[in-house]
Amino acid sequence: MLKYILKRLVIMIPTLLVTSFLIFWAMDLAGGDPVNQILPENASVEQREALREEMGFNDPFLVRYFRYIGGILKGDMGSSYISGQDVFKTFMGRCHMTLILGGTALIFACIIAVPLGIYTALHENTWKDTAATVVALFGVSMPNFWLGLMLIILFSLKLGWLPSGGTGGVKYLILPAATVGLSLAALLTRTTRSAMLDVLRQDYMTTAKAKGCSKRRVIYNHGLRNAMIPIVTAIGMQFSFVMTGSALAETVFGWPGIGRLVVDSINKRDTPMVTGSIILCCVLMALINLAVDIIYAFCDPRIKAQYSGKG
Amino acid sequence: MKKALSFALVLLLVTGLFAGGGKEETSSSSTGPVIKSNLVIGVAQEINEQNPMMQNDQINNNCFALTHERIIFVDGNNGYEIKPEIAESWEWTDDTHLVFHLRKNIHFNNGTPLTAEDVVFTYNRARTNDANVSKVSGTLTLIEDVKALDDYTVEITTSEYSNELIYSFGAYPLAIQSKAAYEDPNNKEPWLVGSGPYVFKEWKEGQYVTFSKAPDYWNAAEEPAVAEEITFKFLLEASQRAIALQNGEIDVCIDPPTTDLQFLEKDKNIEVYTRAGTRLFYMGFNVSKAPFDNQKLRQAVSCAIDKETIIDIVLDGRGQWQTSVLNRGAWSFLDNDEVEGGYAYDVERAKALLAEAGYKPGELTVELVAATDDPYKTIAPIIQANLKEIGINVTIKSMDQATLKVECANGHQQMFLWRWNIGARVDETYRELFYTDFPTNYHQLSDAYVDEMADKVLTEKDQDLRLQYSQELQNYFVELVPQVPLYVPDLVIAYNKGLKGAYINGGGAHDWSHAYVEK
Repeated sequence: MLKYILKRLVIMIPTLLVTSFLIFWAMDLAGGDPVNQILPENASVEQREALREEMGFNDPFLVRYFRYIGGILKGDMGSSYISGQDVFKTFMGRCHMTLILGGTALIFACIIAVPLGIYTALHENTWKDTAATVVALFGVSMPNFWLGLMLIILFSLKLGWLPSGGTGGVKYLILPAATVGLSLAALLTRTTRSAMLDVLRQDYMTTAKAKGCSKRRVIYNHGLRNAMIPIVTAIGMQFSFVMTGSALAETVFGWPGIGRLVVDSINKRDTPMVTGSIILCCVLMALINLAVDIIYAFCDPRIKAQYSGKG
Repeated sequence: MKKALSFALVLLLVTGLFAGGGKEETSSSSTGPVIKSNLVIGVAQEINEQNPMMQNDQINNNCFALTHERIIFVDGNNGYEIKPEIAESWEWTDDTHLVFHLRKNIHFNNGTPLTAEDVVFTYNRARTNDANVSKVSGTLTLIEDVKALDDYTVEITTSEYSNELIYSFGAYPLAIQSKAAYEDPNNKEPWLVGSGPYVFKEWKEGQYVTFSKAPDYWNAAEEPAVAEEITFKFLLEASQRAIALQNGEIDVCIDPPTTDLQFLEKDKNIEVYTRAGTRLFYMGFNVSKAPFDNQKLRQAVSCAIDKETIIDIVLDGRGQWQTSVLNRGAWSFLDNDEVEGGYAYDVERAKALLAEAGYKPGELTVELVAATDDPYKTIAPIIQANLKEIGINVTIKSMDQATLKVECANGHQQMFLWRWNIGARVDETYRELFYTDFPTNYHQLSDAYVDEMADKVLTEKDQDLRLQYSQELQNYFVELVPQVPLYVPDLVIAYNKGLKGAYINGGGAHDWSHAYVEK
């Protein structure tokens, strides 16, 4: 297992190199003069040229790229053009906030989606199944931005139960987590339903019932456990999505996460912050995928055997 | 099931610990009315710099107004009158020497006295052409030397006389910093030391920045800080800012969304304050290349643009259209009824001018570059439709603002949408937008008369004559049409009705240092 994890970590290196090259290239292609981001509009031509020379903006693309990679290897991801803050420290300062939001949203989604997915699978093609499908479809279709504002208007403005945004305690987390979680729940419900339907048709389920197992034991021990692989895959993918794609919810609720950091940096053309943040997001996604693969091993002994080279 | 429930509860508790315990605001009462201890201002931008001379962004400057002081105060709400701040008086002793006499009782918030040495240190540092030390040296190019004549007198030597140099000293990037703090090896952030009524407390990135009352502010007897703390809360989404105000989570909402103003106006606890703004939005031409090197064509385009409709659509009517290239409220500004001639909205006249320019309807296609964000993305299609009416086809090229600036500086554009805001210095418009070869002359204009008049406005000592030059130049631009000035949006701020003591400025240079909320 350890060997497998090490192998995956080593494979991450070329992936990240290619990613970093593509991002650096894309930012370069986008044009714009970084000097304009650093100096005020009325800076003199001499001051602009001196800065351009000092920061190596006149160097060829590859020279600048390898200098950047060299910096990363020495633990320096550069500084923001706008604030001068260290990119790595800024990203890490926001990362835990997104982890809290994403983690809570995912738990919220799982608490709703997994039981609902099982329930709809058990009541396939009934009105209950149809109703749940409609609700799930509604959840998938609602944009986070709109849903967030509606929740703010209801729970914050009308009822006065929760703050409209910002940070400061559990009560500040409820609305953003519910907003992100509801759209995740919709997708997870559909995944759980289809995975459970596949499993429920298997012969071993009939065998379990024939052996006299209780319905609850058949569904949860024999059914759900075998349906977990696609569910865990979906949860992993959703978590990756939340970690890197919750910018809208973060903006609506003033939640200082990495999604908002990336969007703000793109708007301000803060190249070091955008490049560094996207590379770190890639690392994060690779680690989440690795974690999902490890969880597979706990769900399915056959996969664990494969990882150990015994399969 | 029990295990799962326990796990979820534990996780929620851990999350709660990470997210912090929450803080209830308290009120402090004195002999008089009850004052809310923390004034919270909801803003649409986050601060990005804590060293005054390393930036020139309005949101940062609004914070520096709490912690730092400038040598003079330029009162934008009273015709840009220059008032004492650190200096009690000043005079030009001859054409190239400006002398400031400092107050003798000022000290920084670390206890050290503020003397001429600190002023000399600050200005010399600001003049440094190294972007790691100062980013505002471009505003001080006229200065040749800064020296202390004694502990409380500073003399500035310039290469030539300038009517507007003194206004530069009223900007927060040139707020006076402590020389002793920079010389203290233990002080890692010497730029935080100022002489203002508040001191920096905490900047939580992406969330808020808080300032607390300075314990020993030198001018507390005359101009005291009242609120114990002032917090700028970064709420980027405009609707959320408005709701946060209605909820009482913030006391002031900067830039409330136009669509929500009707709800805020109905709220009995909220005041919606509106006043004329100063930021000018315009459509510029690249006059150095075809087709807009043709003055008649530029005049035709100007006549085709319906500015009032743009204001209705973009601002729900909360703004004023204008003809002059100067920002509304600036010294010598000519209002629409004061300019000579002009090319206001008149479709028939636009068609006639197009014919005079040598173009038939439908034969000209031009490109308009516009930033991808508001209000540009809304204005661009309206202009496209306006020009279609006179037979000019417009293709809109959208790009982010950073790219747009480079495109315009390099002269790649034909027409562009942009904005400009100035304070007291009209030279910031005449020189920075229109002077030959100036880096931000996106119009690519090179006109000897404009350059000559801009120089005269800057250096003419006879103020009546200077006013005449500036107004002549504005009228010249009305005829030349290097740009079509579109509108100046009103400044709108919504706040708790108990707000007192705020200095709200049409250009956004607000000062909250004496503001508080009375319950």
